[in-house]
Amino acid sequence: MLFLQLLLGGLQTGALYALTACGFALIFGATKVFHFAHGASFTLAGYLFLLLWNNGHPAWLGVLAAIAVATGFGVAMERFVYRPIQRHEGGFFTVFVAAFGVSLVVQNLVGMWAGRGFVVADSSLSRATEVLPEVFLAPVFWVSLAVAAVLFLALGIFLTRHPAGVALRALSQNSDLIRAYGLSSHRLSLLAFALGSALAAPAAVLTAITTGMNEAVGHHVMLISMAATIVGGVGSLKGAALAGLSLGVAESVVLNFADPQWAEAASFVVLFGFILFRPSGLFGHAVAR
Amino acid sequence: MTAYLANLATLAAIFGILAATLNVAVGYAGIFSVAHAVFFGLGAYAGAQLALLVVPDALLAMVVAALVAGGLSLCLALPALRVRGEYFVAASLGLQMMATTLFTEAKGLTGGMGGLVGIPRPMILGVEVPTLALALTALVLILLATWLMARGSFGRTLRAIRDAESAAEALGKNINAAKALAVAFACAGAGVAGALFALHMSFVNVESFTLDQSVLIMAMVIVGGTGTLWGPLLGAVLLLSLPAGLSFLPFIPPTEIGAVQQILYGAAMTLLMIFRPAGLLGDMRTGRKA
Repeated sequence: MLFLQLLLGGLQTGALYALTACGFALIFGATKVFHFAHGASFTLAGYLFLLLWNNGHPAWLGVLAAIAVATGFGVAMERFVYRPIQRHEGGFFTVFVAAFGVSLVVQNLVGMWAGRGFVVADSSLSRATEVLPEVFLAPVFWVSLAVAAVLFLALGIFLTRHPAGVALRALSQNSDLIRAYGLSSHRLSLLAFALGSALAAPAAVLTAITTGMNEAVGHHVMLISMAATIVGGVGSLKGAALAGLSLGVAESVVLNFADPQWAEAASFVVLFGFILFRPSGLFGHAVAR
Repeated sequence: MTAYLANLATLAAIFGILAATLNVAVGYAGIFSVAHAVFFGLGAYAGAQLALLVVPDALLAMVVAALVAGGLSLCLALPALRVRGEYFVAASLGLQMMATTLFTEAKGLTGGMGGLVGIPRPMILGVEVPTLALALTALVLILLATWLMARGSFGRTLRAIRDAESAAEALGKNINAAKALAVAFACAGAGVAGALFALHMSFVNVESFTLDQSVLIMAMVIVGGTGTLWGPLLGAVLLLSLPAGLSFLPFIPPTEIGAVQQILYGAAMTLLMIFRPAGLLGDMRTGRKA
């Protein structure tokens, strides 16, 4: 029964990883920016929710504020960090270093302001009940799966039906052609950053309710999102989501066989293997690099 | 006070070696490794074990450390030959995370979190030598080697690969060999720095070889200026004196010094990338594609 318990726990973590990974993949696919500060959106959203919740504000306010701060952070990064760097033709490493710097600043500011170590939002959603003999589930499990499913459905409909969604997909395929058709690639990049960062907020809120946050959580989330994007295949949101889900499940199920400290390393062994033997990922096209 | 300054100077020399060798990979060959602390660690453990188990000879320790780190640099060279850009950064991040776990768990070789303690003072031919002299000599030799390499044909080949890989290949350059060699040199240098670090501190544990350390070394190279000879050294001195300087400021509580330091160098990295991507000593014209 331990295995089933771990599997269910992994599904929940995986659903949340899938959301953040999908946000990262959306940004990377559309704008080709390796948004290494994506984890900072997650941290900011989670901590803002915790602050409002622990001060007795209603949950919907916290969720809205979390989404707003994540979106705002993503848009600000694009507007004030990535755009100026790309204007003077900075290479990808310039972008990476700048984003890394921002994520260090956010992590340490949050640590100084909110204290280091884990904080949890105490909520009735995370109270577990025994559903099967020796298998415990909290309502937050179903909430996480439902939120992830609804958001993926909505994102899929937006990207295929709405003109702006179609334009986003076009941007990821050929940004020159977008401009030839008279669309602003800058506006679309901002949209990609807003959407991708907003996807991190629900995941952050649900993480804050279940396991809690610490100031370094963004780091871990970022590495997982990056790994999932590459394993899933760059340019494929479906691949990133699926890889995020599997990484979450794998990280949890591995506990059945090994000590917890190997869980994170296991994800990176998978990532390393994919980069060596199949850099295009599960669903990606061959990359010309 | 002299002991304090000597300690700071030794650390500056050690991190100068780390930054200078990472610069060979990042600045000259365009291989953006975020796993330099892994090879620093390998060298430190190799040097420490040799000093503990066999003989505390500094030269031998450095040679063995360089061999171990240079040999295992294949772990980094393989992805460098397969993929470029973001993919390679991701691969090196993966390597760094795996190595941190291995360093923590392989307790027989590394002592885990407790680390290796009581590493004897360094000797050369049975005479005890100060680590400051050793570190400075090694730093000068490595800077000299970098300078010679950058001027010679190998340096030109590396820069050609960095700027236009296909063009370099079309001119008949053996890209794979050049990249592997650059990585091996950088990692062996990090190994030497590791051995010096172990002998100097006479204690090593995994906390010195984490992702944070890799990022710190990378920040030194970036802040000073990639692809320049003196830039990484300047970056190392600046970033190392930062915590020392901060501890003299009365309004920062001692518990927050680490955080303030990280905020400062994070902000410095971001602002430099926006306004001066080639680093403090870098050439603005060549820095744009870094």
